[in-house]
Amino acid sequence: MNGAPLRKRIRVRPLLLSLLCGWLFALQAAILLGQGRDDLSGTVGDALLAQAPEMASANAVTTVVVSYRGFDTLGEVTVLFLAATGIALFFGAHPGGRAAQPRARRRPPNEMMVTGIRLLFPVLVLFGVYIVVHGHLSPGGGFQGGVVIATAFFLRMLADPDFLLDHGWVRLLESLSGSGFVLFGLAGLTLVATGTFLGNFLPHPVAAMGQLLSAGVIPLIYILVGIKVGAEVGAIFQDMVEQAPEPDPKQET
Amino acid sequence: MLDLLDSPGMVHTIYVLGSMALFSIGLYGLLARRHLIKIFIAIAIMELSVYLLFIALATSPGETAPILADGLTRFAGMADPVPQALTLTAIVIGMAVLAFGVTLAIHYHRLTGIRDIDAMTELKD
Amino acid sequence: MALPLTPIWFIALPLLLAFLAPLWARLRLLLPLLFGAQVVLLALAAALVPAVRQAPLLETIVIAPPLGIHLHLDAVALLLVTLFHGAAALLALFVWLDEGVAHLRGPRPFVLLLLLVAGCDGMVLTGDLFNLYVFLEIAGVTAYALSALHRDRAGLEAGLKYVVIGSVAAVFFLFAVVLIYLQTGQLNIAAVAADFAAIPAPMQVLIGLSLLVGLGIKAELFPFNFWVPDIYQGSDPAVASLFSGVLVKAFLFVLFHLAFLLLADPRVAQVWLMGLGAATLLVAETVALRQPDLRRMLAYSSLGQIGLIALALGFTSEATTAGALFHMVNHTLAKLLLFLVAGLLIRRAASARLEALTGLGRQMPLAAGLFVLASLSVLGLPPLAGFASKLWILTGFAEAQVFWPIALILFGALLEAGYYFRWVKALYATGDAPVARGPAPAPARSAYLPLLLIAALLLLLGAAPFLLEADLVGAAQALLDRAATIEGVLGAQP
Repeated sequence: MNGAPLRKRIRVRPLLLSLLCGWLFALQAAILLGQGRDDLSGTVGDALLAQAPEMASANAVTTVVVSYRGFDTLGEVTVLFLAATGIALFFGAHPGGRAAQPRARRRPPNEMMVTGIRLLFPVLVLFGVYIVVHGHLSPGGGFQGGVVIATAFFLRMLADPDFLLDHGWVRLLESLSGSGFVLFGLAGLTLVATGTFLGNFLPHPVAAMGQLLSAGVIPLIYILVGIKVGAEVGAIFQDMVEQAPEPDPKQET
Repeated sequence: MLDLLDSPGMVHTIYVLGSMALFSIGLYGLLARRHLIKIFIAIAIMELSVYLLFIALATSPGETAPILADGLTRFAGMADPVPQALTLTAIVIGMAVLAFGVTLAIHYHRLTGIRDIDAMTELKD
Repeated sequence: MALPLTPIWFIALPLLLAFLAPLWARLRLLLPLLFGAQVVLLALAAALVPAVRQAPLLETIVIAPPLGIHLHLDAVALLLVTLFHGAAALLALFVWLDEGVAHLRGPRPFVLLLLLVAGCDGMVLTGDLFNLYVFLEIAGVTAYALSALHRDRAGLEAGLKYVVIGSVAAVFFLFAVVLIYLQTGQLNIAAVAADFAAIPAPMQVLIGLSLLVGLGIKAELFPFNFWVPDIYQGSDPAVASLFSGVLVKAFLFVLFHLAFLLLADPRVAQVWLMGLGAATLLVAETVALRQPDLRRMLAYSSLGQIGLIALALGFTSEATTAGALFHMVNHTLAKLLLFLVAGLLIRRAASARLEALTGLGRQMPLAAGLFVLASLSVLGLPPLAGFASKLWILTGFAEAQVFWPIALILFGALLEAGYYFRWVKALYATGDAPVARGPAPAPARSAYLPLLLIAALLLLLGAAPFLLEADLVGAAQALLDRAATIEGVLGAQP
């Protein structure tokens, strides 16, 4: 069409790469289809599912996330914390706690949008809190609810230039909820004679399963996770929304 | 005739093909694209394909979510909760790393104006 | 309510301290706590030695293995954890005493340094595959952030390259974990090891290759380590010393631990791992010969030593394994010293190029002397620790009547002698080349204290390697004895 010779229109590198990826795809799919198991049984998950009633949480996924594999969750919250720390290193206010200045705007925000989001904001926060608090009863939990809450704040940050989170408060929440998680774990280790780290040391009668106050420490830990996730994600959003000062390569903190 | 689609073998085959196709697309993007943000998107696609494979193959058609609600009173005939819990963990970790990576890329672009991974030549032999 | 001495403190204490970092920043306790935490955990490791000599400690978390996560503290894990905290304590002391590394003294570096070591601890201690992935990411994210700490062009480039390559490695590792769960339904490493032989062979190969790509990238083995010198060059030398001394050691351990446990017959992996180790050694030492940048030279030297350790570990005989573990200890100490001294020299000369460092040995005699001492230890000269461990590895190969690794290791030492001598010669050259002087003043005298401590340790371990011999042999046995590990976790199997 454009008269260029064929070898110039077909570039060799993408062709080779797509051949390579296609070959890998065929190989992986062949192995997985040929050797994969459709009848996975006797797994750790099935054994945990059979044991799940002992924790008295109606949501078995929550039992696994917060209790049986709570150590993973602690690690995961830590990764989120580390990522927020790293992001704050580049975008955030400086560690001295200098108050963030209102962001420069090109245009004033639309009045409709600001009002609408102000109306939506409490509903979103309430919805997030509901998801967190009912994590051991219904689908949802600390992560999902925490992100919903952070999204509520993010919407307000986007719509309303005067709305800013106080970095000090966010950091305080981060610290308290994170260390609270570890302290709950240590309490499980020390308060009960046969306890383990992150053990469920509060009474959790099976009879109460399905009620809001049930499952011992699981809802409490999930609330802490919710606060932690909300604070971390909110801090990440805020760091990204705020106009970062022009980076100065020589500046070291 | 459509009952065939409900057999575990068929469902799992579809998911294997889909998730491995996503994995290959991600791998291709990783190797062929030079824009930093596109590379992070490619990595995210690879991660997602692994999550999809995990969730899909660990569950068989007919199993319900492992939650006692809507009249269920026993943990029986339910999906394996462990893959769901692990995927939840992995998604959050993946998101955190992605957010950090994108932050680095944005900051690097602001500092140098470079958004192409081949142009990163400050550190070379 | 007593606080029991359990391995959980290796994870819980750094996490608690890191989450409360704003409080410590307000109380101006950051640097004492960074040092103090490492010393406390070092003391805890020492206190656990008698118990671990009796039997490995299993710390259950919520539910007993194979259902739940557990921490597995055996002789080799204890050795590595002790090494990590020892190295981190020395580094923390250096950061505390040396005013020059200002960007390492704030609350955010405090969190990152603390959790880097905690992540490495977790990788070594955990008995669960997915938990291993979580700790791998903790160590990974801290490492990405630390390498970009300078926030200048080189640091950001190092951080970006590290994030990309590290995320890819993590995806491959996660893929392998998912495949293992879909095949066996287990996540506990011992339970997976017991069932691994039942997986169909092609699937075993796919899992093995995914693990090798994921962990090979992280452990900096040959075809996957093209990015390493960039990271070491772009990061602060103090951070690079942690990467080379602690992070890589943890990943190497994980790679070999999984290979030894999963495969009933380690000879399958022997060819691969020894081949990768030999290639890493040869390529890195050759490329190091002509590096004009001190940090790049040290990075390639570090890669060469990693290759040597992988070569010796891959051979799976007790003597070479014990020697390799000893070499891990010595290499950590020597590279810590080399990178920290390099940091001092580079700051003084305001450059890391060979020309800029010419003649600097006359102005900083103590730093240059320590550099020479650490180089000699890396080479393996008699009164120093590097000699004892290299000799142990060579004896191990000689006993097994396998001679090509011996030739390779000696050839590597020859190359090392070549390039370290080049740098030492430059340091002591008479300053006919004009020396560029940075504005930085000479480091405080007290900053040399941790460096002298490391040098003393290198001399002590070289003069008296028998101090550690029993523990190293015990650690090697713990690493190699697959049946005992599986039985220890799952109970006696029929």
